[in-house]
Order: sequence, then C-alpha cells, then structure tokens
Amino acid sequence: MINCADFMAEIGNYLDGAAAADVRRQLEAHLAHCQTCQVVYDSARKTVRVLTNSGSFDLSEAASKPITENIMAMIRGQQRSE
Amino acid sequence: MSDAQDFNQVTKGFFQEVELGASYPPFSAFREHFGFVPSIFRCQSLLPRLIEAEAGLAAAIHFPVRALSCRQKERLLLPLAAAHRNGYWVAAHYQLLCLLGEPEERLDQLVSDYRQADLSSADMGLLEFALNLGTNGPFITRKDIGNVQSQGWSNEIILETILITAWSSLLSCLSTGLGASPDFEVAPIPGTAQLNPQPGGVDQAGERIGPYLDAPDLQTSQFGPFEFFREHLGFIPNLLRAQSARPDVIEAETEAFRLVMLTDDHLSRLQKELILLVVSAANRNACCVAVHSEILRTLGVLPDVADKIAQEHRSAGLDEADEALLDFVLKLASEPSEFGARDFASLRIYGFTDEQVLESVVVTSFANFLNTLEFGLGAKADFVLRWEPSPISEKVSNLPVPDVRHTGQGYAGDPDNETVVRVQNGDLDAFEALINRHSRRVYRTLLATLGNQEEARDAMQDTFLKAFQHLGDFQGRSRFSTWLVSIASNTGLQLLRERKRVQSLDDDGVETDEGFRPRQIRAWSDNPEQLCSKAELRALVEEHVMKLPIKYRVVVMLRDIEQVSIEEAAVALGLGIQALKSRHLRGRLMLREALTPHFAAAAAGGAA
Repeated sequence: MINCADFMAEIGNYLDGAAAADVRRQLEAHLAHCQTCQVVYDSARKTVRVLTNSGSFDLSEAASKPITENIMAMIRGQQRSE
Repeated sequence: MSDAQDFNQVTKGFFQEVELGASYPPFSAFREHFGFVPSIFRCQSLLPRLIEAEAGLAAAIHFPVRALSCRQKERLLLPLAAAHRNGYWVAAHYQLLCLLGEPEERLDQLVSDYRQADLSSADMGLLEFALNLGTNGPFITRKDIGNVQSQGWSNEIILETILITAWSSLLSCLSTGLGASPDFEVAPIPGTAQLNPQPGGVDQAGERIGPYLDAPDLQTSQFGPFEFFREHLGFIPNLLRAQSARPDVIEAETEAFRLVMLTDDHLSRLQKELILLVVSAANRNACCVAVHSEILRTLGVLPDVADKIAQEHRSAGLDEADEALLDFVLKLASEPSEFGARDFASLRIYGFTDEQVLESVVVTSFANFLNTLEFGLGAKADFVLRWEPSPISEKVSNLPVPDVRHTGQGYAGDPDNETVVRVQNGDLDAFEALINRHSRRVYRTLLATLGNQEEARDAMQDTFLKAFQHLGDFQGRSRFSTWLVSIASNTGLQLLRERKRVQSLDDDGVETDEGFRPRQIRAWSDNPEQLCSKAELRALVEEHVMKLPIKYRVVVMLRDIEQVSIEEAAVALGLGIQALKSRHLRGRLMLREALTPHFAAAAAGGAA
C-alpha cells in the first residue's frame, strides 16, 4: 500500500498520463480512500489545464513582425556585403 | 562540425576573466616561455590557485630543457594535439614551432600525417609511442617501452615523453572544458592521426605490470612530497614512486594536488575525488580507479558504493546535482568533440557556481593527466580492484537523446527538414518561414530565462542570427526546433551571466528527493477557467509563472505553456529526463499552491 508521500513522488507521470500500469493502479487505489491526495491531484490537474489553456506569454504578430523584419534585413545585408 | 561544437564559437570562453596584473608570476613564466599568455590560463583567473598548479607543472614538464629540447617537445605536442582533434592546441603548437624556425610544410605534415614529415626512424618511433599513449593508453604495455628503448632512446627521454604526453592530455581537456578562445587562427585539422594498432594489447598477462622504467628509491623521510602524501592519504601512490628519476616533477605534481584537490572552498573534497574516480574509470585506468576508491573510503564512501559509482554513477544513489556533475565531467573526458556551452547550462541550472564548474574542468584535466601518466609508466597497483573498468562508449550516453535515427538528412520526422535544407542551399525566404514558425517558442524560452519581455525580444534577434550563422553546421542530430530552443536557452543564460544575475539560478538552494509537501488542501472549483475573464486568467498565470525560480520556470514554460515533449525539452536544456521531470513537477506544484487562493471552490464568485 502506498502512502501520501509515495503518491506525491509519482504524481508527475500520472498527471502526464505516463505512469506505468501497475503504478497507476496503486495510485488509484490510494486516491480512492485519501481525500487529501484527491484534492491535491484534482487541483494539480486543473493547474495544468489552466496553464495550457490560458494563452499566456503569447507573442502577437504586431510584436513579432518588426523583429522578423529586422533579422531578415540583417541577414540580407550580410549576404550582400559578402 | 556538430551543433554542440559551434556553441564554443558562439561564446568566447565560458568563464569571466578577472584582472590578475601584468606581473602575476605564473603569467610572467608563460610569457617568458611562449612569448604570450595562452588564453586557457587567463580564463581561469577566477581561481588563481588552479593557474598556479598548472604553471608549476609546466615549469617542471614543458619549459625546462633536460633530456628533450624545446623543439622536440613541441614536435610531440603538435601531432598529439592533432590526434586529440584539438584545434586550440594545434594552432598554438604550430605557432610555437614556426617561431622555432620549423618549416611550415613539415608542420602541416605533422598535423595531417606525421609519416610524411621526414622524421628519422627513431624520432618516428618516439612520436608513435607518444601518440599511442595519448590515444590508446589502456593498450600500452612493457613491450612498447621496450620498443622505444631498442631504438636507442634513454629512460630519461622516455620518461619526459610520457610526461609531455600526459601534459598534452591535460592541456587538451582544459581548452575544451574552458571553451577558451584560440590565441591563433584555427585551421581545420585534416584527416585523423593513423596509428598502428597494438598487437596483443592488455590480454598479455604480465605485460601491464610495471613500473616499466627504472625508478631509484627515494627516502620517504627525506623527500617532502612522500612525507606529504603519507600524512594526507596514508600512503604514497606508486604512480609518484615510478617517477622518482624526476623529483622536481613529483614536487610539482604534489603542489598541484595540494592546490587542486586538497581544497574545500568550492567543490568539496569528496566531489573532486568522485570526479577523479569516474574519469579514471571512463579512461579504463584500473590503477587510478583503485587509488581513488581507497581515498574515497577514507572520506567515508564504502568500497561497494565507490565501485558502483565508478561503474554507473547514475544508479549509485547520488544526489541529482552530483549526478549532473559527473555527467558533465564524463562528457568532457570522453566526448570532447561533442562538448559545448550547453553542457555548462545544465550545471548552472543545478546551482553550481562558475568557480565550481571551473574546478570540475581542471580536476577532469588533472585526472586525464594522471591516467595517461600511469598508462605510460605502468605504476605498480597500490590497491586491488575487484573489477575491470569497461570500455567508455557504453557509459557516456549522458544526454537523453531519444532514439535518434540519424539519416544525415536531418532528424527523422522533423517537419522542418525540408525548409532547413532550402536555407542551407541559400534560400533566405525559407529562413523567414522558420522564424515565423518558431518565433513564439524562442520568445517563450527567452522570456522564461530572462524574466523580462523587452530583453526577451532583443535576445530573439540574437538567437535567430546565431542560428542562421551556424545553420551550415546543423546536422540534424535533433529536431531543428530543439536546436533552436537550446540556442535560445544558452543565449538567455549567457545574458544573465553577463549581467551577473546568475545567482537566481540556484535561489532555492538544494533540491532534495523528499518531494514536495502540499500546503494548500482546498478543493478547486470545477471550472476554474470560468471564475475570471480570459484576460484575467492569462495575467494571473503569467504573474505566477514568472514568480517561479528560473529552473522551474523554464521547464514549465516549455512543457505546459509551449507544450514541447519531455525528450525535446530535456535535449534543448541539456538535462536528463529525470531531472527535467522532477523540475517540471516541482514547478507545477508550486503553481498549484500559488493559484489555489484564486481557484478554490469557496472563493467562487470572488476570484482573481
């Protein structure tokens, strides 16, 4: 039987759906009767969802365009001077 | 050229230089002998005691004219550097031989194929011995020494040749590990040094039992270095006794040992011994492995554990930072051509300071020196080793390269392959397409590293320009996007270093394996996303991700925000899969703590 510390040690792969089948069974058996780990797992899963769906740290086209143009101008300039 | 190598050229030396003054004695000594101070010594100025250790060895081995002349030594050192494929030292020894009046044609031959270089057969024999020792150390036997002796070379000359070869191993490793910018123009090294395979090899029982050269007895009580070792280690290594014809060299080695190894101010004594142990094992030097296992035993490491570390340090239960340190030194010692700035980034992420990384490079170089010396001298075993070090190739795959099917046409399945080839063939518009495809990923990597939007945008430009400059060398060992992210990450880290903000890399101290104890145990609302507006949600996530310590931030950014695969993130950041996963989890759990007050079910209605 695994305890809460074991659960926390394995939760990473479980969150990614990458835990091995036997590990997953043990984690789920623990979850079934441990309310604390249920809360932690559920909120961790939602944390990942929020991170993934938040659209954070986007680079707008308005911001990237001048940078791209600058890079290309420098590269073309280099090419010509060679 | 591999993409790891070209980072050496993007960055100029991995360490900052501190002014030591024109009259700093080691520099004066180098200037007097070489006419200049090689940059590999200048770039160790963070820890002058290391330069002093090396200057002492140079003054005993490289500078004095005893059995071999300056020119003879340089004529060994140049082809040795070429055999190590070490551009830095080929350029330097070439220049020094030019100054000694050696015709360039002969120098070119010494670099490309020493057999064309019009050497006498005795000179050729000595050089071949040195090359064999420098590149095939474990296969040197008493017979090789006998061959050189039969060509008329004296024991004094053979001993100096062994010392010079060991010194060359140290110098090559230093220049690779320090990323020193060459003092002279580096030309490509044509071909590979072709060596005669050694008949027989290690299987011939008895042939590996030395010492091969006569070594007069030195009275322990009257010889300081022996006294010193007996006091500090409890024994006098036979490797030192085997050099007793040159007490001056033993003195310099002892002083170097004291300055490099017996200090605890940056890397611990234990960490340094671990480096000597694993590098000796990778070099397959059983004698040195036994000596360092014994020293580790006196430092509290059980022999079984030391054996395990030497055989496979990743399964020996070391902490993650020490595992990364040993990965780093093994790569430096065993795969120098693949070594580059990326490997440094990984150590910095583990919180190692510049001084510690510098020390690890010097200790690795020192291990190569001692191993080569022992192979050449055949020192009598000090202790019995119960196992045989295995070939290195099996244990240096420290980079978690995920099943790379190398086609020579780019990384299998990389959607950018075709576009990259078009750019390589001169199509600039294709490069613009690559920028458009990957600008967000590059930006996010830089933002996570630098923590500032404006700086991230500026660094984007540098990243793509570097990528363009080096695209000709990109060989498809990874996906193009992985390569690009690693350039971005290194560019960001380099900027942090220049601005001395690197302390933020280890701001949360030691990472333990105990895991992370959750503090917030409040259930979240079923739909946290609906507790606030899209813009508020984005701002909230951005705020808290940026508050994470950098090493977690970068991983969360790549994995959860940019959704890069585990393998790709690990390769790009130069991390092991396990290290990457544990940082990722830590970062996610820290965010869970930080976001709980906003998303807890009880807070519904009043979030953000």
